[in-house]
Amino acid sequence: MSIISLRNLTKTYQMGDSTVHALRSVSLDVERGEFVTIIGPSGSGKSTMMHILGCLDRPTSGQFLFNGRDVSSLPRDELAGIRNKQIGFVFQGFNLLPRTTALENVEVPLLYNRPVVPAAERHKRALAALTAMGLGDRAHHHPSQLSGGQQQRVAIGRALVNEPNLILADEPTGNLDTKTSVEVMALLQELREKRTITVVLITHDMDVARYGTRIVSIRDGQIVSDRPNIPTRAVEAAAPLSVVNG
Amino acid sequence: MMPIRHCLTLTLGALKRNRLQTVLAIIGMGVGVGALVTSVALGRGAQHAINEQLRAAGANVIVVTAGNYLQGGGNVGTHEGGEIIGTPTGPKSGDEGTSHNGALLPPQLQLDRPPTESYDGALPIAYSRDDRLGHPTGAVWYGGTGAPWVFMSVHEEDDPFAVHDHPTAAQRLGDSMAGLGAAATLTRKDADAIRAMPGVQYVASSVQEDQRLKVLEGGEEKTWFTYMRGTDDTLPMIRTGWVFPRGAFFTEEDVKAARQVMVLGRVAADHLFGHDANPIGRTVLLWNQKFTVVGVLGSRSWAAQPTPGDHEFDAFYVPVTTVQKLLDLGKLNTITLTTYSVGDTTQIARRIVDLLRQRHKINERMPDDFMVRTEAQLAIGHGLPPSVARVLGGNMAGVDQITIGRIADSLKRANNTMLSLLAGVATVSLLVGGIGIMNILLLSVTERTREIGLRVAVGAQRSDVIMQFVAEAVLLSLVGGLLGTVVGALASGSLERLFKYSIDISIASSLAAIAVAAVLGVIFGVYPARRAAGLDPIEALHHE
Repeated sequence: MSIISLRNLTKTYQMGDSTVHALRSVSLDVERGEFVTIIGPSGSGKSTMMHILGCLDRPTSGQFLFNGRDVSSLPRDELAGIRNKQIGFVFQGFNLLPRTTALENVEVPLLYNRPVVPAAERHKRALAALTAMGLGDRAHHHPSQLSGGQQQRVAIGRALVNEPNLILADEPTGNLDTKTSVEVMALLQELREKRTITVVLITHDMDVARYGTRIVSIRDGQIVSDRPNIPTRAVEAAAPLSVVNG
Repeated sequence: MMPIRHCLTLTLGALKRNRLQTVLAIIGMGVGVGALVTSVALGRGAQHAINEQLRAAGANVIVVTAGNYLQGGGNVGTHEGGEIIGTPTGPKSGDEGTSHNGALLPPQLQLDRPPTESYDGALPIAYSRDDRLGHPTGAVWYGGTGAPWVFMSVHEEDDPFAVHDHPTAAQRLGDSMAGLGAAATLTRKDADAIRAMPGVQYVASSVQEDQRLKVLEGGEEKTWFTYMRGTDDTLPMIRTGWVFPRGAFFTEEDVKAARQVMVLGRVAADHLFGHDANPIGRTVLLWNQKFTVVGVLGSRSWAAQPTPGDHEFDAFYVPVTTVQKLLDLGKLNTITLTTYSVGDTTQIARRIVDLLRQRHKINERMPDDFMVRTEAQLAIGHGLPPSVARVLGGNMAGVDQITIGRIADSLKRANNTMLSLLAGVATVSLLVGGIGIMNILLLSVTERTREIGLRVAVGAQRSDVIMQFVAEAVLLSLVGGLLGTVVGALASGSLERLFKYSIDISIASSLAAIAVAAVLGVIFGVYPARRAAGLDPIEALHHE
């Protein structure tokens, strides 16, 4: 069973006077454990697809089956639950809470867990996630005290804290230098390999896209190509980094 | 719904992170609450001060006298004496007796024995009889041909229309019953019953009479004929214009033990011992009984200077129990009392009337066998011959409407207006504080748009977002409220020193202010919270 199944997905919205066809009848299947990179220029609809995949937006028509379940018509609170437990987000701008420790940042998804996770348990799980990212010793640093790469790793830790099946990454290396970008990509690859987490990543940079096992090109709301790929091995390219134990 | 601790963690974290917002909001609410607390305290202090001043003027004094004045046109007399024998046959017309000039008249009394005397053309119809003396001590006359009722009782020895300046039968040793001239209707038990009433502050029983004091000084005998007040230790609390240049008033212990101690008024002391001598500890003879002087009484007020014959400073005070013991007497002349609040005086006076009528088992149709008068009415007759005073006091039914009682009411109303004004201003500032919180939170929503987007992305539900912001608002309001109460209390304290008011912080109003702050927090937090919850997470995530 595919983890993600898009069937004739269409998304249209109004922008002032004009109608924007962000996605036109897109169909796509993603299996567990794939590392799919979606590449396209701005306005191609890749962001829209990411939002729909992330249950942040509903399609205008068509179906989105997540783990075999049609989520396009679920109520908001249920979608929130899916985002909470089954999806992990990584953003270009990290989106960490300022003036808050790394540990507290990683805890954020746990605050919205239902049933409620008590404080001690939250701390434990967050610390474990941070440590897995190699930042256990910086648990009490604020984002301003961390480098870009470290911040993104905190964000990835946050994305993983509820042990989701799917990671959605939106230009995760956009704000990082080359070396750090490679480190982050290595991390994502490792996650996929060691923990069988499905990764869907969107980018406009082909070099980044080549880290995936499958490259999907999108343009003007339609998939123009979808081909498997031999991923660039970021793990070897990067110097010692990950301590992901799976 | 998130549990409270969870919510608190989120909220505290958020407030810590956004310090400026937090501080500004707290200050805003704090000022509002502080203003409210201070203004309420000020208002109550002012009310207190007014009450104090009125109290000093004696506006909260009520005097209950044994015996009764009747109101009505024409002749007015006192009812003094024993019980009325004979039964009422019912009213002449109407349910509770006829009315004449607006005053209530007693129903016709059935004759028990034929009238034998007349007075100024009015025929007597019944006698009252004091059993202990064995002779009639009173009479009731009916003025024929349309003349109003005259209801009088007369003491064998004393003509009520004459001024008393001669010693009465009480002077004779051992003759305890005669001549105190009071109706035997008030007792110390009545005083106790009145003491137990709510709103009553100090109660002093009193037995009063003209008496002669004797002092033996180096073989010489000095006497002074003056006014005796057998009373309770509480009298100085009631007569607040008193000072004690020497010694002090007697104590509750003295009253309980019926000790033979005495406080001399300034005039009496001067005449017996000389102005400069210290009479404390000296012996004074009353009814040939030895009394020790424990204090000398003077006046604090320039308006009421000790003068011979004034019954206050040309007087002496002994425990009422001592008088009752020595004279084997059970009854009182008067009961004087004060109320806590001047505004309650009239109401409490009425309640005392009901209480005493009940205690004395006075039938509905019968008149009171006592009089309850507020100080205002007493003041009218002060210093006048008793007969004239009686006429004035008896005829001026509306006296207490135009004197201190009225003034007290006006002052109370004025103070309430001021209090309302102050509270109104304070409420406005409280609202401003609340609006301030709302504005600050709205700003905060804008600044934290990305944060809100993130929270939604990782699973926050709409209710989570709303709860968070409302909780922040409430917490800010509560802290502001608490701070404001503390500051308000301190401010009131310094104002107290400035204005010499006693400013009254009540716990209840402080708690109320804080509760109001919390409620305002919820109200003013809801709008920003809904704005936050209504954000589109996608836009929010990419917001700058």
